[in-house]
Amino acid sequence: MMSSRRRDVIEFLLNNLVWLLLVAVLVVFSLTVPNYFQIGIFANIIEQSTYVGVIAIGLAICIIAGNMDLSVESVAALTAMVVGILFCSRGVGLGYSFSPEWLVVPISLAIALGVGAVIGALNGWLVVGLKMNAFIATLASYIWVRGLVVALSGGRSAQDLAPSLRVIGIQTVLNIPLTAWVAIACFAGFSFVMAKTPFGRHVTMIGGNPVATFRAGIKVDRLVVITFVLAGAIAGLAGWLLAIRSSGATANLGTGMLFNAFAAVVIGGVSLKGGIGRLPGVYAGVLLLSSIHTAINLMGLPAHYTQMILGGLVLAAVLLDTVKLSIRQRLA
Amino acid sequence: MSDLILQLDTIIKNFGAIEALRGISFAVKRGEVVALLGDNGAGKSTLVKIISGGLQPTSGRVMFDGAERHFASPAEAKAAGIETVYQDLSLCTNVDVVANFFMGREIVKRIFGIPILQERAMQAVVETAMANAGTRIPSMRTNVEHLSGGQRQAIELNRFVHWGGKLVLLDEPFAALGVEQTRRGLEMIKRIAGQGIGVVIITHIMAQAFQVADRIVVIRQGQVAGNIERAKTSPDEVVRMITGEGFAQPVPAAGMAGT
Ligand SMILES: Nc1ncnc2c1ncn2[C@@H]1O[C@H](COP(=O)(O)OP(=O)(O)OP(=O)(O)O)[C@@H](O)[C@H]1O
Ligand SMILES: [Mg+2]
Repeated sequence: MMSSRRRDVIEFLLNNLVWLLLVAVLVVFSLTVPNYFQIGIFANIIEQSTYVGVIAIGLAICIIAGNMDLSVESVAALTAMVVGILFCSRGVGLGYSFSPEWLVVPISLAIALGVGAVIGALNGWLVVGLKMNAFIATLASYIWVRGLVVALSGGRSAQDLAPSLRVIGIQTVLNIPLTAWVAIACFAGFSFVMAKTPFGRHVTMIGGNPVATFRAGIKVDRLVVITFVLAGAIAGLAGWLLAIRSSGATANLGTGMLFNAFAAVVIGGVSLKGGIGRLPGVYAGVLLLSSIHTAINLMGLPAHYTQMILGGLVLAAVLLDTVKLSIRQRLA
Repeated sequence: MSDLILQLDTIIKNFGAIEALRGISFAVKRGEVVALLGDNGAGKSTLVKIISGGLQPTSGRVMFDGAERHFASPAEAKAAGIETVYQDLSLCTNVDVVANFFMGREIVKRIFGIPILQERAMQAVVETAMANAGTRIPSMRTNVEHLSGGQRQAIELNRFVHWGGKLVLLDEPFAALGVEQTRRGLEMIKRIAGQGIGVVIITHIMAQAFQVADRIVVIRQGQVAGNIERAKTSPDEVVRMITGEGFAQPVPAAGMAGT
């Protein structure tokens, strides 16, 4: 039997392992990779973490609830394309505008969140209403939603986004782009919701034991649908940010983000069996991936190395998950 | 106000071709402890799930607190005042003792309309409840996965004691408890019944049933095989009802014996 104090310390380390890893990686790269240690580089790492970071939030919430949402990347691409088509003036853009002009900001954001939420609700209905396996249902959405993007755009792109929106993509605060602050704010907000509100508590408990939560009178089905709607809406936000960054949208915008987000979620300590994981850890996971990307770029390695390293990292993270589990069992 | 808290009237439950319950009728009075006995597979757990809203009967009526009720979910039954301790425990092992104790009924404070969990207040309540029941758990903040089977069962028992209600259903609540904890548990049940709460307890241990129950109901192959006051029967007779040996007289049809 171990003293409960020592156990708390070990628990704490296990829970925050990814932050330690992040610090270690940053220190090692700063010492070994030329030109790594610069404010600009760090700001760049945070900027790079924006889009993957945002979709990782929704993905993580779904996984913590004991489900899966593979459609988030395609949903982000769809909302980016919808925003592009409506509010771009060239390419497939229809160039809708409002007076005053800035109204385009809240309206486009509302549309992006709405489109994401609708796809999320559909996923939720497939999983809860029709009792489909979440992995399969959202894999299907991943494919057909991307298809819808191509169909909507006819394979062409939308360019020249409305000026009020483009300004958001250029602004920086403390050297960090406004869009990255949006991601940070999302992490802060949803971390709070998951840790401090009944909603977050119930979602976590559903991921641990859906039968027990059902018996306790928690509306399990409703909450699971809400997690899917949230994941969709958050992916919609990511799509909105993507459209702003690229001042429009292309049919293949954001491909590969799903895998990055997935890797970040797992590295960040979210267990695929559900019920375990914290959102700050997920953000650390995203930052860790971006740091590694940046180091690879600076070293001038070809891009496919990034993929190999990423794949290795995911394996390492899943392995770590298993190791942590066995350490925890020994603590018991 | 009727002195009956629960009345079951010809409850039938089929799982496909399996007839798990074949017309169960009996009643529970306020403040009465009814021990539900029967062999494995007799249908006891199924019956408990029907009363607590987890399953819907194929046919039959459930009268609770003076009115016919059809609980569509455990949430509805719970809201009406039915607390249940299930045979397979209902704990989330991935969260701590406090979170489990308050599952679905957390103490919150609204700030700008957002409900915020009040962890300290909840912890204080759980510590008091556990201390009153004599349950020792090192820290209320350890995840339940680190606790022993007995400690887990104690959490469930203390949880229902704390929340009270009008009717309590216990499905083999002492299976993982030690001698001392079982004694405390049995006392707890008597205390609860003393407050006017109806109790239905399922157990396979005859001694426990005779120690705590006012009345004994035996289920055999989905039917009531006996419904008798404890003072008017003996363990031997009950065993014969359970196994069906020397099963002489037919059971009173409406099962209202003892009411
Ligand atoms: N969901 C279900 N689907 C099909 N059959 C079921 C289901 N639940 C229970 N049964 C069947 O109904 C019958 C009664 O089961 P039940 O669990 O109520 O028995 P029990 O009296 O609680 O037994 P034990 O003492 O072993 O706990 C059994 O034959 C069981 O196999
Ligand atoms: Mg049973």
